[in-house]
Amino acid sequence: MRPIFAAVFLIWAAVAAPASMVGESLVRIEATGQSPDYKAPWNPGSVESGVGTGFVIAGDRILTNAHVVSNARFLTVSKEGDSRPYSARVLHIAHDCDLAMLAVDAPEFFNGTTALEFGGIPAIESTVSVYGYPIGGTRLSVTRGIVSRIDFQAYSHSGMDSHLTIQIDAAINPGNSGGPVLQKGKVVGVAFQGYSGDVAQNVGYMIPTPVVLRFLQDVEDGRYDRYMDLALTYEPLFNPAARKALGVTQDDRGVLVGRVYAGGSSEGHIREGDVLLSIDGLPISSDGSIPLDSDRVPFTEIVERKFKGDSVAIELLRDNRTLQVTVPLANPWPFVLQSNLYDEKPRYLVFGGLVFQPVNKDFMEAHSPGAAKLKYLFEYFIEDGIHRTKPELAVLGSILPDSVNSYAEDFRYEVVSKINGQAMRDLADVARALEEKHEFHTIEFEGNGRPLVLEAKAVADSRARIKQRYGIASEKNL
Amino acid sequence: MKLPILIFLLLFGIALAEDAPAPAGSASNALFRVQSNNQSYDFFQPWSKKPPVNRRGVGVVVENERVLVTAELVANSTFIELEHPVTGDKSAATLERVDYEVNLAVLRADKPEFLGQSTPLPLNGPARVGDLAEAVQFEANGGLAKTQARLTSVATAPYPVDGAVFLLYKAALPLQQRDGSFTIPLLRDGHLLGLVMRYDARNQTADIVPGVVIRRFLEESAKPGYAGFPRLGMSFSDLRDPQLRRHLRLQEPGGVLLTDITPHASAESAGLRKGDVILAVNGIPLDQDGHYEDTDHGRITFSHLTNTLTPPSTAVPVTILRDGKKLDLAVTMRPLDRNKSVIPSHHSDSPPGYLVAGGLVFIELSRAYLREWGPNWSSTAPQRLVHYDAFPNDLPRDRGRLVILSQVLPTADSIGYEHLENLVVTKVNGQEIRSLKDLSKALSKPVNGFHRIECEEDPKILFLDAASVEKNRDTLRDHYSLPALERL
Repeated sequence: MRPIFAAVFLIWAAVAAPASMVGESLVRIEATGQSPDYKAPWNPGSVESGVGTGFVIAGDRILTNAHVVSNARFLTVSKEGDSRPYSARVLHIAHDCDLAMLAVDAPEFFNGTTALEFGGIPAIESTVSVYGYPIGGTRLSVTRGIVSRIDFQAYSHSGMDSHLTIQIDAAINPGNSGGPVLQKGKVVGVAFQGYSGDVAQNVGYMIPTPVVLRFLQDVEDGRYDRYMDLALTYEPLFNPAARKALGVTQDDRGVLVGRVYAGGSSEGHIREGDVLLSIDGLPISSDGSIPLDSDRVPFTEIVERKFKGDSVAIELLRDNRTLQVTVPLANPWPFVLQSNLYDEKPRYLVFGGLVFQPVNKDFMEAHSPGAAKLKYLFEYFIEDGIHRTKPELAVLGSILPDSVNSYAEDFRYEVVSKINGQAMRDLADVARALEEKHEFHTIEFEGNGRPLVLEAKAVADSRARIKQRYGIASEKNL
Repeated sequence: MKLPILIFLLLFGIALAEDAPAPAGSASNALFRVQSNNQSYDFFQPWSKKPPVNRRGVGVVVENERVLVTAELVANSTFIELEHPVTGDKSAATLERVDYEVNLAVLRADKPEFLGQSTPLPLNGPARVGDLAEAVQFEANGGLAKTQARLTSVATAPYPVDGAVFLLYKAALPLQQRDGSFTIPLLRDGHLLGLVMRYDARNQTADIVPGVVIRRFLEESAKPGYAGFPRLGMSFSDLRDPQLRRHLRLQEPGGVLLTDITPHASAESAGLRKGDVILAVNGIPLDQDGHYEDTDHGRITFSHLTNTLTPPSTAVPVTILRDGKKLDLAVTMRPLDRNKSVIPSHHSDSPPGYLVAGGLVFIELSRAYLREWGPNWSSTAPQRLVHYDAFPNDLPRDRGRLVILSQVLPTADSIGYEHLENLVVTKVNGQEIRSLKDLSKALSKPVNGFHRIECEEDPKILFLDAASVEKNRDTLRDHYSLPALERL
C-alpha cells in the first residue's frame, strides 16, 4: 500500500496548480434511482443512490455518463468549494455511448464555474490526468496515467454497442464515472469503465472526444437520435479462391457481406454476397480497415461519426460489376431488444394471473430461463430474421397462482405464437387479442403442440381477486 | 454416463461384508462373466476412435445358445469375451443383435459348445410394486452373491441410450461392488425378472429392463430384418385441465392430446394429426394421463400396449376425437426409420461419416456430436444446433440430415476460414445438401473451377479452388495423418 500512496502524492504535487483550476469545472453528482423489477413488473422498483462525477461544458451544461443518471428519480449536483446540493435534471441521455447532459434549474449554480474545452485524441504513451469523486473520500481526487491503447471496445452500459475507446493505466474507480480526463488543460476523454481488480489491473477506459463531440452535435437539434448502423455483418476476405471467384482484382481490398438485417439501413441497398470496396472514398482493406486520422480503424468508424439522415457512399462489387450505392442511415431498431434498457418502466400484461412480458435483455437477466425455445428465439432474434414477422417476443414470464390458471405452470417461459388463431407480433397484439369477445381464449406457444385454454368468464371472475391478492396496482403497462 | 459410473466405483471401494454364496442351482449354471472392450468414435475428429474402455457385466444364457446383456455393456465393442465364473474358461463372443432403444443385446460364443452345460434361464414376470427379487453378481471364486431388491415403481420411463420410452422397473437395491456393473440380472424363483441397466449408488436404486421387454426383444430379434420395437412416433400431453377439456368438447372422462408427430412414422402414416385427442387404443379407453389398466402391470401408459405388446406390422385400432367428432383409425405399428431421422439420437457401432475438402471438415449433425460438449451439452454446445435437436419437427418437412462444417484444418486452400466452425451447410455448387452423399456428389461438379459453399450462418458463402483442392488432397491427408478424406 505504501508505494501507492507515495505515487498519489507525487501526482498531486505535479498537478496541484491546474487541479485548482479544474476544480472550478468539476461537479459531484448524487443520483437517486429506481431500478425496475422485471420479475414483478408492476412494482415501482427498489430505491438506490449513487455518486458520480460530471464537468461543466459551454452553455451552462454538465456532462457525465449515462449510467450515472440512468433510472434517476432525483438528482443533485454540488461543486468544489460550495457544498450546497442543487437540484438537476437530465436534458439528454445517450445509452448507446454512455453519455448524458444535465441542466441545473438554479442559474446561479454556474457562477464561478469554468466550462472545459475539448482536445483531440491523445498520443499513445502520453500522460493524462483523471479527475473525479471516487470511493475513498468525499473530496476531489486526481489520478494520473498514460494512454495505453486506442481501440474499439464494448460499452458495458448498453451491453450491445462498441465504439472507439481509449485505455489508460490510471485508476478509475466507482465514483470516477463521468469525470473528465485532461491533457494540457483540455478534455481528452470521459472516464467511464474499468475492470475490477481481480480481472485486470491498471486498466481504465475513457470515452474519447470523437464520441463525446458526436453526442454534443447529435443533441444540438434538441433530440438524441442514437448511433446509426449499416445493420450488416461482414467477413474479412483473405481466401485467394474466394477473391478470385468473386472477381476481386485489387490486392488486399474488400470485405464480404454476410447478413443484411431486415429493417436496417442497408436493406435494399446492399446484398448478401456483395464485396464492399470503399466507403466515402476510403479504400476498405480485406480485414475491414480504412486509413483514417493517420491510423487504421474499422470502416464502420465512418458510420459511427454520422447522424440520422446522413448517408454513406459505398463502392461494391456485385456479380463482377462495380456499383456505387448510397446508403441512407437509419436506426438499427431490432438491436434494442438485446441491449440493456433504462428509464423505461417494464411493460407487461396480467391476464387471468398470467404475466406476459416482452423478451429483452433485462427480462432474460432477471429470470435466467432455461427454456430451449425461448433461449433460441432471443439469441437468434436478429440473426435468423425472427424480428421480421415478430418485432417483439411476448413470453409468459410468470404465473400468479389462482384457480383460473391451475394448469398453466407447464407453459412458463414459453413464447406466445397465436391467440385464438391469430399470429401475435408483439405484446400489444396479445393485449388486443385477449380483449376480444370469445367463450374461450386459446393461447398457442412456439414449439408446443398443446394450447393453453382459458375460459373468458373464469378470467373475468378472477380479475379483482388476483389484483387484490397479489397487490397489482395496474393490470397492464403496454 | 460418466458420473454414475464414477460414484459406483467410489462406493464399492468401501464395500463391507459380502453375502453368503448361494447354493449352485440353475441360475449359476446360466450366468457368465462378460467383458467388453469398447471404443467409441471421437465426433470432433470423426476419423479417430477414443481410447478403449473396458466394461464388465453378468450375461444370462437364453434360448438358442445365446447370452443376453444390456446394449450399453457392448456399445461400440471391439472385443467381447465370455468367462465361465468357476472354471475361468474363456471364449471370444460375437454380437449377434443389439437394440439401443431397449438397451438389450444378445451375444454368441465363438467357441462351439462353450455354453455346453448351461441351461437357458426362463423369464419371470410380471411384477408389481413391492415385489421382491434378487440381484445376482459373482464372487471372486465364482460363487453367486445375491442382494435383495424391492420394486418401488412399475411405469413407462425414458431408457438411457436415446430416451425412448418403455416399461421400466425401479428397485431399491443396496448393491455391493463386484466386477460387472453394466449388466446385473435380477432373479425371482431362479427365473429372470429383468436386467439392471443403471444403478444409482448414492440413492441405492436401480433401473431395470423388465421381462416383458426382454421377451419381446428375444422373440423379434431372432427374426431376419429386425429393425427395433415398433414406435408410434408422436408426443402427447395429459388432459387434466378442465378448461381445455371443455374447449375440446370432450364428453369422455379420459383422453390425451397429440402435441407433436414425427414425419413418416406409424402415427402420422395412419392419419393421426397434431391436436387429435386419443380416446382409446385397441378398444381400451385411456384416462386423462394416457394410462390404461394393464392386466400384468397395473395402470401404465398406453405406449406399452402399442410399442411393446403389439407385434410389428400389426394394426392397432385407435379412437380419436377431432373437431368434436369421433373417428376410428388403424395404426400399423412399425419401427422408426433411422435413416429418416433428422438428427440421429444414438450413433453406436457404425462409424460416423465425414468429408474433408480443402481442410474444411463436414459431418452430419447427430446427438453424439452434441454430446461431445460434455454433460451440460444442451447449454454449452452451439445453441442453434441444440435447438435443431430439440425441435426437429420445426424444420421443413423432409429437410434431410443437417450437414455442418464442423471445423477447419488450416491448409493453403482454407486461408481465411480457420476460425469457422459449426455452420449449417445449405447448398454446394447450387445443389441442396441433405446428406454427406449429397455433398460428395455436389463437390464433384465445381462451377467455373470453384466450389461454392453456402451456409446458414456468416460468412454465408465460402469458395474453394477446385483444382487446388484436388491437387492438395494427398498433402492434406499426410499432414494431418487422416486415414481417408471421406467416409460417407
